[in-house]
Amino acid sequence: MVNDATGKTLLIVDDSKVSRMVIKAHVLAVHPDWQVVEAASGEEAIRVVQQNVPHYCTMDINMPGMLGTDAAEQILQQQPSVRVAIFSANIQEAAQTRAQQLGAVFVAKPVTEKSIAQALLHFRGPV
Amino acid sequence: MSILSEIERDALTEIFNVGAGRAAQSLSEIVGDEVRLTVPSVEVLRTDAINEQLLPRIQGRFATVSQNFYGPFDAEAVLLFTEDRALSIVRDMMGSQMSLDQLAEFEREAMCELGNIILNACLSAMADMLEITLNSSLPQYVVSSPEEISSRLSEVQSDERYVLVLHIDLVIEKHQTDGHLIFLLSSTSLHALVEHVQAYLRKIELT
Repeated sequence: MVNDATGKTLLIVDDSKVSRMVIKAHVLAVHPDWQVVEAASGEEAIRVVQQNVPHYCTMDINMPGMLGTDAAEQILQQQPSVRVAIFSANIQEAAQTRAQQLGAVFVAKPVTEKSIAQALLHFRGPV
Repeated sequence: MSILSEIERDALTEIFNVGAGRAAQSLSEIVGDEVRLTVPSVEVLRTDAINEQLLPRIQGRFATVSQNFYGPFDAEAVLLFTEDRALSIVRDMMGSQMSLDQLAEFEREAMCELGNIILNACLSAMADMLEITLNSSLPQYVVSSPEEISSRLSEVQSDERYVLVLHIDLVIEKHQTDGHLIFLLSSTSLHALVEHVQAYLRKIELT
């Protein structure tokens, strides 16, 4: 139980490199031992998950190609154990509801220490 | 030759998308429906380049909402929609049962409100993320021809002015509209903006 959160893998999906950098930096500040994998689109994320299932995933919504919520849905159908945090600048009710329906947590952008804490809380799961 | 580096452009696009998300949230409360508002691209051009690259693509007159803002850098922000698109946005905002005459009456007010929402959302996102304070003037609504806009841009060209051009995708009630948000900046203000973006990026790397 004590070492519950050690050595986990996190997949960061965002078309913005800056966003991926911010998420990665904040997460590694809390969990320096986590392994981080990045994807720049929903399609790439699905391919990455097929090869190597991560423990956790942060997913942007608005990206070129498929919507992040659609990618998250596919990933969760194939790998229900992955815990997903939807990070989005689109803070409307519809986007938040969609995230909840998927069983993911919705986190409003910009990415800050506080929003990362929300995601990490969801990753830890109900104990 | 690009004025912004790839990573600087990425950071600005992300900042404006956070702003666009906030604006979409406010707009969706007005129209009672989901609004999609995204900023797929950001580019810095010289004022002469905007005449060549942006204006010729657009037919007809523009509906513009402009606002000045002040802070560590000063700029004039101009939201540009073609006039017919502006009218359809107003229709979506005011409810589609309105007649054209009634719509025309509300056009100025509705466009100022739209401009106010989008511009302030973008400025607040920029201020929050770059950790600066920006103040703004009241929005002004003007309908002008591409020639009028072009001559207005060339007036300031001697002062080595730059334009930060954001392409905007707006979908209200299933109607797709696109427009542009343009920031007119002096070279001093542009450099100040870039410095703040670089400071933001340095902070990420140091976190």
